[in-house]
Amino acid sequence: MIRVLLADDEAMIRSALAALLRLEEDIDVVAECADGTEAIARALELEPDVCVLDLEMPGADGVDVAAQLSRRIASRFVVVTRHARPGVLRRALSSGVAGFLPKSRGADEVAQVVRKVAAGGRYVDPEIAADALTDVRCPLTPRELDVLRVGRRGETTGQIARTLSLAPGTVRNHVSVVLGKLGVETRQQAVLIAEEKGWI
Amino acid sequence: MSSRAHARGRGSFELARGIWATWWYTVSAVLLFELFFVTAWAGAWGTSEGEFDVDPLALAVGALWFGGTAWVLLAYRRREDQGPLLPRRDIPGLLVCAAAAVAMPALTGSWLAGAAFLLQPVVILNWPRGVRLRVVIAVTAALVAIAVIERAQTPVELHSPVWAIGMIFSIALPTASVTSLWWWDVLLAFDRARGVESRLAATQERLRVATDVHDLQGHHLQVIALQLELAEKLMGRDPDAALEQIRAARVSVAEATQGTRELATRFRTVSLADEIANARDLLQAAGISATAEAPDDVDAAPADVLGPVIRETTTNVLRHGGGRRARLALESGVDGWRYEIVNDRAGGQDGTDGSGLEGIARRVAEAGGSLDVRREPHEFAVVVRVPEEGER
Repeated sequence: MIRVLLADDEAMIRSALAALLRLEEDIDVVAECADGTEAIARALELEPDVCVLDLEMPGADGVDVAAQLSRRIASRFVVVTRHARPGVLRRALSSGVAGFLPKSRGADEVAQVVRKVAAGGRYVDPEIAADALTDVRCPLTPRELDVLRVGRRGETTGQIARTLSLAPGTVRNHVSVVLGKLGVETRQQAVLIAEEKGWI
Repeated sequence: MSSRAHARGRGSFELARGIWATWWYTVSAVLLFELFFVTAWAGAWGTSEGEFDVDPLALAVGALWFGGTAWVLLAYRRREDQGPLLPRRDIPGLLVCAAAAVAMPALTGSWLAGAAFLLQPVVILNWPRGVRLRVVIAVTAALVAIAVIERAQTPVELHSPVWAIGMIFSIALPTASVTSLWWWDVLLAFDRARGVESRLAATQERLRVATDVHDLQGHHLQVIALQLELAEKLMGRDPDAALEQIRAARVSVAEATQGTRELATRFRTVSLADEIANARDLLQAAGISATAEAPDDVDAAPADVLGPVIRETTTNVLRHGGGRRARLALESGVDGWRYEIVNDRAGGQDGTDGSGLEGIARRVAEAGGSLDVRREPHEFAVVVRVPEEGER
């Protein structure tokens, strides 16, 4: 029996998927969670074989949940999403997510992926892989991304410079190069674009 | 770089920068005209002998006036259609001009000079559209009248060509300045229209996509509703037929989803170089040590054939868990392009790894190429050869 934890903030989809998965003979849904925080708590308590996590959830998103749990319990993680934003597959794979598929897939396919992942395999839906492969490449250097990442909460140039051990002038240079590359006027806009594209 | 498309207004900003050159051209034309005007009047004094003799004091006052008009003129660049006639920042410039205008008749002996010095800065104020034309006509008429009266009152022996030059400049200056500024306004209007036009095109495109989505979803939802209704009615009488309708409804849902996805991604294009680099990043993120090689002229390769091949083969490697390393290579040879992807098949043979390879083979064959699959105990390789674009 594969013990599955299901987390999705959309109650209709969660309960329908849980009911459909319970119809499979070898799958038992042991927990249904409405958000990321609850999913983490319940997973730590139950240690399910597989966690099926929605990507878009309040609290912590599916990839965050997987990243936090993968260090503490031996569960395997499957992330489902309605719309895979660029860069999210890369983030998911490096967070130890073993399965990634769109929500449009039927419950029978989800069950197959759960089985495959529980057996130690990995499954990436072709549609999501195709999206990831046709992403626009990030035009920024790692250092420029550091500057955006450290300054994403509106930190001052001075604070960024101290955190990264750089001269304030160097930080300003990086920022102006970033603004030029992304074609935006402010650092905040650059941060928004980088977050949206999953670069930081 | 499509990320630039996110930066709204960037295009207009860059064009505006180009337009500033025209602004400076316009301003310098007006200022040059004013310079001639000032020197004409500064030289007009004491010309009873007909000599061009510059009066330093008049020239100094003229220079002050020149600065004052330049102040007002430069503020014109930031004018707004709905802005006040006399913005506060114009006032110092205007005061300087007025003082110079008061001093001018005393220095030059000509009321026309005073009037022209006073009225020139007035015409370049922020007059509303249409009003400026009337102001200029009135100002020019007044200046002509003053010139005629002044000439009539001046004894004939004091008529000099230099005074005549001053007179002509005085009368022509407001019209010349306003014409230049009108030209600038027209250019600015064109620039704005261009910005509006591109925003309009974007809006129309969004509307078109919205309509397409609506049509597509509407059609499928209608079909699904009918199929479900039929299933509901059949449920009691003929459960098998009802089941058939429910399955058909699921197929319709899948079609609608697929169609929506195609709408959303139809404008998405990415270069082969980016696609290969993305593939390497993804495989590395999945803990596979991946390398990718592509020649510099990779974008000359047939992306319509190789793009799907790269996507499909990379997905195959990703789906097949447990691999340690992978290598992607795209190279061009005498007989076309050769793409190869090799990975170690640590996961063993479960027979499902060839999924999608049939599709690739068909696509490659249509392009006149070939596909070879090499299966070895510790290695799995897919090699695709595609002829050059022109030879297909």
